[in-house]
Amino acid sequence: MRPELVLQLTIDGLLLGGVFALAALGLNVIFGVTRIVNLAHGNIVVLTALSAAIAFQRFGITPIEGLPVAMVGGALLGVIIDRLILRRLPEDAPTAETTSLLLTFGVSYFLVGLSLAIFTGDFRSVAYLTGSWLVGPLSIGKSRFLAFAVAIVIAAMLGVLLRSTKIGRALRAASQNLDGARACGVSIDRMRTLSFGLGSAIAAAAGALLSMIYAVNPDSGSQFTLIAFSVVALGGLGSYAGALLGSAILGLAVSFVGFFGNTQLGAMMPYVVFILVLLFRPSGLLGKSVA
Amino acid sequence: MSALLEIENLSRSFGGLRALSDVSFTVGEGEIVSVIGPNGAGKTTLFNVISGVMPPSAGDVRFNGRSLVGMPSHAIAEAGIGRTYQVVRPFVRLDVLDNVAVGALLHERTLAQARKAAEKVLAMVGLAHLAGAPASSLTLTQRKRLEVARALATRPKLLLLDEVMAGLNPTEIDSMCAFILGLREHGIAAIGAIEHLMRVVMNVSQRIVVLDFGRKIAEGTPAEIAAHPDVIAAYFGSELSVG
Amino acid sequence: MIAKRAGYAVLALLFVVLLLAPLSGNGYIVSLCYITALFVALAYGWNLISGYAGYLSFGQITFFGIGAYAVAIGVTRFHLPWYLCAALGGVACAALAVPMGWLMLRLRGPFFALGMLGLAQTARILTNLTPISGGSEGIYLPPGANAIAAYYWTLAIMVGGVVLTAAIDRNAFGLRLRALREDERAAGTLGVDTTRSNVQAFVLSAIFPALLGGGYAWYLTYVEPNSIYSTEIELQTVAMAILGGMGTLWGPLVGGLIMSQVSESLSTRFPQTHLMIFGALIVVLLIALPRGIVPAVAAFLKKRGIA
Repeated sequence: MRPELVLQLTIDGLLLGGVFALAALGLNVIFGVTRIVNLAHGNIVVLTALSAAIAFQRFGITPIEGLPVAMVGGALLGVIIDRLILRRLPEDAPTAETTSLLLTFGVSYFLVGLSLAIFTGDFRSVAYLTGSWLVGPLSIGKSRFLAFAVAIVIAAMLGVLLRSTKIGRALRAASQNLDGARACGVSIDRMRTLSFGLGSAIAAAAGALLSMIYAVNPDSGSQFTLIAFSVVALGGLGSYAGALLGSAILGLAVSFVGFFGNTQLGAMMPYVVFILVLLFRPSGLLGKSVA
Repeated sequence: MSALLEIENLSRSFGGLRALSDVSFTVGEGEIVSVIGPNGAGKTTLFNVISGVMPPSAGDVRFNGRSLVGMPSHAIAEAGIGRTYQVVRPFVRLDVLDNVAVGALLHERTLAQARKAAEKVLAMVGLAHLAGAPASSLTLTQRKRLEVARALATRPKLLLLDEVMAGLNPTEIDSMCAFILGLREHGIAAIGAIEHLMRVVMNVSQRIVVLDFGRKIAEGTPAEIAAHPDVIAAYFGSELSVG
Repeated sequence: MIAKRAGYAVLALLFVVLLLAPLSGNGYIVSLCYITALFVALAYGWNLISGYAGYLSFGQITFFGIGAYAVAIGVTRFHLPWYLCAALGGVACAALAVPMGWLMLRLRGPFFALGMLGLAQTARILTNLTPISGGSEGIYLPPGANAIAAYYWTLAIMVGGVVLTAAIDRNAFGLRLRALREDERAAGTLGVDTTRSNVQAFVLSAIFPALLGGGYAWYLTYVEPNSIYSTEIELQTVAMAILGGMGTLWGPLVGGLIMSQVSESLSTRFPQTHLMIFGALIVVLLIALPRGIVPAVAAFLKKRGIA
């Protein structure tokens, strides 16, 4: 195997990983605070990606231009899922964990059905900024690079938000120690809604950027839910660096397997990684995070 | 001869925190031993390690001469160690009888036989009249008794009782004491973990192990412990002088 | 007592109707009865692992697919009788479910659900990539008078589901499952081998979709990855069990009977939005009737002193 090819696939994988990282960071915010496994997370990514594809095709709006609208839409969706659905859980529901999982399962297929009704089952992406920069023997896709760069900027902004603002600190406190945060006067109720809104907005941003480099159809939703959870499993809950590292590994896996096997095998990688991580670190980071 | 239970240099850490540190002691057949110490001294961790809920970081636990380390908790129950949890959580969607029948299934083949065995155990702890009630309807005292009944149904040779007295009123404590003393007649040994209630500890136990910050700081008969200067200083001197 | 007798009478009547339905010679009635029996039986299978053992599985369709392909491949490439292939598919899935269950059931709660969700996707992708399965082209089976045979096969499995669940409801295995569903750690210290019981439930609940998938392939005479590893079938099965009452003996029957009629009329009227409606239905049901119809009715009868 030629070294340039390895390098090329590595770069492609890392750039893709940047977008995965964004989806995972959104999940990290939600799961960290609420401990709810939101099966609809990937559907928000995919719904936004499909919307971005249509917006570009019909109205010529690029995903970057549409980013603010996408994020607001994602935030609304997240808040709706929390306020209108998960909060409606009756007090005497058999077990909260099971029921909330079933609820997000229902929401996820509602979104799949909605996407199918609006966008049909076709695979779509945005043909924006086609072409590549040639750096020696390597070619770096312009859209891939742009998506990566914007993803990193948003990730950095999220980091600043979580570290340096009052709301961000309250969110982080809530995800580290719910009772402690409550004792310090943080409204857990508001933190929950906030985390759903913020996390889903980030997921939507990931979707818009994804549309520039990866074709999806309504059925791809659960694939991205799994990607996000795999990254969290790999990198650890609440760990910023971990999420980036985990996404890089996943991006590389998809890129290499996709090249040597085929794209379908590549699409299987998130799941394979998810299982491998849980097998070899069964009591590892995920085990702890659920306890 | 070897004791029923031998705990040898047992340690357990969580991250950097040592919840149990180099603890050793033994329990003989039919013996009642109390493990005392303040909240966080490592009593529940000790029980978790013995009953296989978590593995030790170092050291060994032997039961009838056989090491329990690495065995899953159901195999430890099968070997003859029953335990109760400090936070009592019955299977709330089962009735009281079936809660106990779960434990009885360890030795009974059919559900009918297990329920019959469970009835006998319920009679022993004074809950027979509640057999058909949903476990969710029990009071705290009744839940504590149910917790003991479930463990007893597995026909243990050794019973680990984690704070079974906590939250009970004086009359209830007396009857629980009588019950624990009655275990001896059935040849069942017990380790009781107790935070307060020195009067109970002194009356019920034949031997006392004192834990503090995960270390064993003293061991002996009630009389020896009551006179032990370290123990008085470190933990319950004030309470003894009152009691 | 009266309620109980009335219940058994309705049950007997239902069984007779389902047994005699094909004699009507009406293709629509046969297909409606087939769909009903199929979904009720699938819901019984799902109920074992997700209702009784408490591990939500969104990937039972994997076994359905393996069963369907066992028949399609066995019949077309090896010229074996379809029912033999379907039975072999069931055996294969039972054997496969042992290591798979042992592995997957180490994942706790929601992560088991995620793992099974991914498993179904993986199975679909692998089927697409395997030459013997015909890839995305699928496999055509020899058509003929398949529907009646497949219908009785499915009906027999449905009855098997009821009988097995009734047995579990009153035996030691069932009590172990109910105990560990509530508190796995406590059940373990009471001597319940939790891994073993969970795996047993997983294996049983894999056999149902496997056998039913075999019948489905024979019924449709065509298999293709996307329609066999169908998210729609999975989704409907889950919705039915929730509607009737998870972890109850009669829940899958009641939920399946009602929902398959609803589903049938929905899919003809709104073919595009089927998934959306079922997704929304799950959400609404969980909020309005979290325990399902059967426990709600039982509570009502008990209150009135009828049962």
